[in-house]
Amino acid sequence: MNETTTTKEPKILILATLSGGYAGADYVGQQHLNYSTNTSILPVRCPSMFSTEFYIKAFEKGIDGIIVMYSGTDSPFKGGPERTAVMVDQTYKKMGELGINIKRLKLAAICTVCKKPFLKQVNEMNETLNEIGFVQDELADQGKDK
Amino acid sequence: MTEKTNPKPEETKIGVYVCYCGGNISDVVDVEKVAEKMREHPNVTIARTDMSMCSDAGQSIVENDIKELGLNRVVIGACAPSLHEHTFRGTVARGGLNPYFFHHVGLREQDSWVHSNNPGGATEKAIRLMYAGIAKANLLKPLDMIKLKAERHALVIGGGVAGLRAAYDIAGRGINVTLIEKTPFLGGRMAQLETVFPTGNNAREDLHSLINEVRTHPLITIHTLSELVNIRGYIGNYDVQIRSQSRGVSGDNAEAALAACTQEVPDDFNYGLTKRKVVYRAYEGCFPSTPAVDWEHYDGKPIEIDGQKVIFENKKKTFDLRIGAIVIATGFQPYEPPRGDYGYDELPEVVTLPQFIRHMGLRDGNVGELTWKGHPVRDIAAIHCVGSRHLAGVHEPQPDGILNNYCSRVCCTATLHQVNELLDEYPNINVYDFYEDIRTYGLEHESYYTEASKKMVRFLRFHGDQRPEVVAAPEGDTHPVLVKGKDYLTNGLEVEVPVDLVILAVGMVPRPVDDLVDMMKIPKGDDRFLLEVHPKLRPVETPVPGIVLAGTAQSPMNIQESCNAASAAAAKVAVLLAAGQVELDPYVANVDLDKCEGTGACIEVCEYEDAIVLETMTVEGKEVQRAVVTPANCSGCGNCVSACPHHAIDVQGWEVAHYEAMVDAITMEVEI
Amino acid sequence: MDENKLKADALVVGGGIAGMQSALDLADQGYQVILVEKEPSIGGKMIMLSKVFPTLDCASCITTPKMSAVANNKNIRILSYSEIQSIQKNGSGFIANVLKKPRFVVEETCTGCRLCEYACPVDIPNPFDLNIGAIRAVRVPFSTAVPQIAVLDMDNCILCGKCARACPVDSIDFLQTEKEVEIEVDTLIIATGFETTPIDAKKEYGNGKLHNVIDGLIMERLLAPTGPYARVIRPGDGKEPESIAYVQCAGSRDETLGVPYCSRICCMYAIKQAMLIAGSLPMADITIYYMDIRTFGKGYEQFYQNAQAMGIEFVKGKVAKISEDENQNPVVRVELIDENSQIIERTHDMIVLSVGMIPKYNPSQVYGVNVDEFGFVKSPTPNLSSTKTNQPGIFATGASTGPMDIVDSINSASAAASSAASYLESVRNGK
Repeated sequence: MNETTTTKEPKILILATLSGGYAGADYVGQQHLNYSTNTSILPVRCPSMFSTEFYIKAFEKGIDGIIVMYSGTDSPFKGGPERTAVMVDQTYKKMGELGINIKRLKLAAICTVCKKPFLKQVNEMNETLNEIGFVQDELADQGKDK
Repeated sequence: MTEKTNPKPEETKIGVYVCYCGGNISDVVDVEKVAEKMREHPNVTIARTDMSMCSDAGQSIVENDIKELGLNRVVIGACAPSLHEHTFRGTVARGGLNPYFFHHVGLREQDSWVHSNNPGGATEKAIRLMYAGIAKANLLKPLDMIKLKAERHALVIGGGVAGLRAAYDIAGRGINVTLIEKTPFLGGRMAQLETVFPTGNNAREDLHSLINEVRTHPLITIHTLSELVNIRGYIGNYDVQIRSQSRGVSGDNAEAALAACTQEVPDDFNYGLTKRKVVYRAYEGCFPSTPAVDWEHYDGKPIEIDGQKVIFENKKKTFDLRIGAIVIATGFQPYEPPRGDYGYDELPEVVTLPQFIRHMGLRDGNVGELTWKGHPVRDIAAIHCVGSRHLAGVHEPQPDGILNNYCSRVCCTATLHQVNELLDEYPNINVYDFYEDIRTYGLEHESYYTEASKKMVRFLRFHGDQRPEVVAAPEGDTHPVLVKGKDYLTNGLEVEVPVDLVILAVGMVPRPVDDLVDMMKIPKGDDRFLLEVHPKLRPVETPVPGIVLAGTAQSPMNIQESCNAASAAAAKVAVLLAAGQVELDPYVANVDLDKCEGTGACIEVCEYEDAIVLETMTVEGKEVQRAVVTPANCSGCGNCVSACPHHAIDVQGWEVAHYEAMVDAITMEVEI
Repeated sequence: MDENKLKADALVVGGGIAGMQSALDLADQGYQVILVEKEPSIGGKMIMLSKVFPTLDCASCITTPKMSAVANNKNIRILSYSEIQSIQKNGSGFIANVLKKPRFVVEETCTGCRLCEYACPVDIPNPFDLNIGAIRAVRVPFSTAVPQIAVLDMDNCILCGKCARACPVDSIDFLQTEKEVEIEVDTLIIATGFETTPIDAKKEYGNGKLHNVIDGLIMERLLAPTGPYARVIRPGDGKEPESIAYVQCAGSRDETLGVPYCSRICCMYAIKQAMLIAGSLPMADITIYYMDIRTFGKGYEQFYQNAQAMGIEFVKGKVAKISEDENQNPVVRVELIDENSQIIERTHDMIVLSVGMIPKYNPSQVYGVNVDEFGFVKSPTPNLSSTKTNQPGIFATGASTGPMDIVDSINSASAAASSAASYLESVRNGK
């Protein structure tokens, strides 16, 4: 499909747990607070299911920033948050190897009524992406270096 | 009759529906534009909009389209999935499809309501999210609910009026109930009241009619001095561990121990106004009637009973139960002002309303004159909203950082009820009532306000940011304390009212239940009360299936409201357990045996006992190890999914491939 | 089965939010329930509302799924457009005689396609919009009605026959007559709901004759996206109001009207409407004249504080009189309590009377239940079991027992279901 003529915005993918970030995002909505529209929130049960491969593929497809909004200590799943942290750590290493700025991936504990932390995460990711630019430019630069 | 076959993605016929939500979505998102874009998608057979998809009419459209157009997938963009995903699964099933051939996209809470400042962006986002939904729908597989036996046995936590009401109603439905109470006696806060509005009945008499029903019910088991210490499992099948402390005395030596005990501590039943022994009954006529040792305060020294030195011993024991559902009825505690606030804890003439009620209850008959600490009481001030309706920027948050910005609901009527009774008995006392708004909201509550006015209670109105102050009167004054403030019924006139007693109408705070919150993973609200899923759709349910709320653990309530909430909680428990079977979402791990190579990596990361194990099986004549999931034990967290080096495991309904397809859709450039 | 004789475990009278919740909670436990509703559709007052406090969910988002769940529950049977005539005791249970009013449309075959409605030449005031908008003499009562079956208003029908000709399934029956149905049940729940206090009751507030003075329920319809104009305009001249005032306790806490009690909901609905108006008419000035703001429920006080932060003006004052000027602008005469009780007159473009709640129906005669002086069902145990009545096996819930907001009604309704289920079990176990 054709590109729109409007200025291209960075794309933020938010993987949000049903017991945490996703409910928190709903709460932000109930409070009618505003944030940017370049966000796509996908519900997840527990982000421990995502491997490094999944994150890397998403960046390669053009997702500029990923916020994993998990439930932290509030998770209903035993071992889920810990496993998520391990996977995100592994992914940081891989990102480093591939020359993807690790600021593009953020793990944050968001509770069901965490409206301020939710907005803070979204705003900070936007600021970061405005600073470091699009992931595809970054990947293209890496290609040139090699 | 549900369709079991799984069409290939290229063969899907998807019905897409975008809801106006009565303006909630369409006021911001160009819903017609979204539908138009959906129609361009090759897998979309039809895309429609409707004012309210969740209405019967809206749902009928979907049902008819499935039947008439042969749809095999449905995607609906509407409010949050937490509200209506379940509704629409039913719709899809009535249309003849497997209910899991449906995907719900939240366009309200996560789009229109948060992007009201950017309608164009919101519309573009809606299109993106809907395309992602279609991408997932393409890959959905038919699933069936997991049916499990449910234990017809409920646990009620808390032996106050709400817990008692819930226990009795659940048992009334033929379901076993175990009621646990942390303290040695049943009755909770209601036992500490004297008369109750609107009936004027004696609180303990009313309470005991219910306690008697509960304790004689054959299906109810009561454990006092007992707490939940561990919980695992899931709806219908919770394994709970309860720890009980012993009473320390038994029938044989109880009365003698009570008589012989000399160690005294402040009596919490009377909010510290009096002292009691460490071997005690909460009040005369309490249940159980056997006294108990106050383990927290008992100094461990021997007590001489019938010539023998006895040291009481707390024989703790724990026991396990298999429970189908849990009612949390842990109640409230009165707000305690910090030392010095309104003179509390500094001036002896300042009491809270609960303390004053106990003071009235403790009097020895009618002595013709009300006294406080030996002095006659001629003038009383009541101050409302103490610990309630705090304002950001004006009042300090509580030590936990939370501002008590809510109304505690019962204090206005309770105060005026108490004041009227006081004036019935002592018509010569002058009462000054400092309030912000009088909230006598119940059907029979307003009459307490009118009656108080008729009894010449002098009302003075403060503004929420200028609350009255209580100070000691100068030496030699006629009264010990002064209440100072501005009265906005008389144009903000500065007033200084000399009184003998100040009653603080303190609000409610929930009893601390962080241990339960941590164990059960249930949420608290901004006001620290336990949080329901939705105040109207699921007003007594927590997000954890099978765990419901009753009474003031959820918010301030009066007795009637607590009992209604408790009965409502009982109704939800009855709905869950009446059939002896519960159905669970099929979101559990599923192993693709063609891909599994028996590495066991999944088992290493799984925290659930017996959820996934390696079993020996024969494949092409060879004995091999393969992972096998026990659905009832699997939580569906997905730890194993990322661990499997061969991508052989997925959580049903939440597959990695779904997310990859959704990411593809999100990264696609969309022209609008 | 003989359609004139029905049998079930429980009968719920009234299909508003409380009656629906009671019916669902019983049906979900496996009991057979018959729900009788006087109007052609279930949904009660709640389905007429715009958005509901304190979440600001659209009212239909909460109500329509419940209506749909009732309609689709295999254990619930709805008898719409039907009224209870009498109740007789029958052992520990009851026999109810129900009058099914003629719709002049065959329920079994009507598909709700609305072709009759489009063909009908007669416009009448729309009762769903409190008679402000218009609707046809034959119509599906409203877009989300359950059941989706047309009803013909014979009083206004000119018998032209256009609807009958338009009907593709031949469901118009001008000769339909009322039917009696006998229902045998073991328990019964009264959920007959409320009416708002009449707008014309108070002489000082213009007896309902002032052009731009409306009540809170009409404002709900003006604010509702399904309403007659889908925006807020003055009923007098269709002008967009720039200054709107709410008069609280207009029909409650007023001995002279025979309604001395507080109606519980008016503070919150006024604040909610003020917030919604502020959203749709951002330039409008909104004033709420009140005696006491009673925002007592969970999240309500915070809602009030938000409204203050939005700039809605709260004036503590007693409105003595409302009149109108030569431009039909309402003028309030108000005692400003915070300003030395001075009495002033203020002109607004539009006034909303925050009317209160009175019972819709007095069930004492037919059901033999005790009611209070206002006609609300009175429980012998208002604290411990507020849904019980003096008649064993008969329970009462929601606003039939007193003014109540939606949250409290829903809990009361589930409580009634709980008590009714216990009663069913006890009579069955011969206790």
